[in-house]
Amino acid sequence: MDTQKVDMFIMSNGKYFESHKMLMLRSRLLDVDDSKWSILSTLQFKDPTTILIVSILAGSLGIDRFLIGDTGLGVGKLLTCGGFGVWAIVDLFLIQQATKEKNSQKIEQNLI
Amino acid sequence: MTLNRNKLYVILIMACSFGYLWLYFNINKNILKTQSVGACIIKSSTGFPCPSCGSTRSIVALLHGNFHKALYLNPLGYLVGLIMILVPFWILVDLINKKNSLFYFYRKIEIILGNKKYTAFAVLIILCNWIWNIIKN
Repeated sequence: MDTQKVDMFIMSNGKYFESHKMLMLRSRLLDVDDSKWSILSTLQFKDPTTILIVSILAGSLGIDRFLIGDTGLGVGKLLTCGGFGVWAIVDLFLIQQATKEKNSQKIEQNLI
Repeated sequence: MTLNRNKLYVILIMACSFGYLWLYFNINKNILKTQSVGACIIKSSTGFPCPSCGSTRSIVALLHGNFHKALYLNPLGYLVGLIMILVPFWILVDLINKKNSLFYFYRKIEIILGNKKYTAFAVLIILCNWIWNIIKN
């Protein structure tokens, strides 16, 4: 793909991915075919900050886990009152990373 | 956190053992002279019970054979109790047979719950339970 397009994508969507994966993602995007651009530009990603806010407000109901697609873990959190309150607090620190990983997975699936 | 089989099993075993420990302390509350610790953030901050508040009491009632009382306290207690009994055995069988049937089952449930119809149904049930929980207290 075009360097300009890739850099534009990285600039506008950089906050959705882990920083250590950015370089790899950039080289990966440069390698893929130009026809993927239309798919790539319409992809919607989960905002880690929004998920963090949800995690603070409704973390002990597991809503944050449901939102990023970890339905099983969400049910686990819901049934145990946010893992007896402990998991809910731990997740405040983990959820942003988890969201970014989910976004990376999504882009990987769409690039194949 | 990409969930693979081993990670899921470790999480489940940890959750189950913590659950059993929690149950042990709750059953022996009178003997150990410890006060009941409210684990729920929602209940301690807002005063309203959350959808799963009362499931510990429900499981304790189940262990004493009071099935009606368990159902009254929180029907989710039945579900949690079932998971706590089933999961350790299932993991053990999986580890012995070197299979990952529980992992596949978990994935299947996730896909089923991802279906909008089932999601709406599940949310409705949880909401009803929550409303009932608030009315009871």
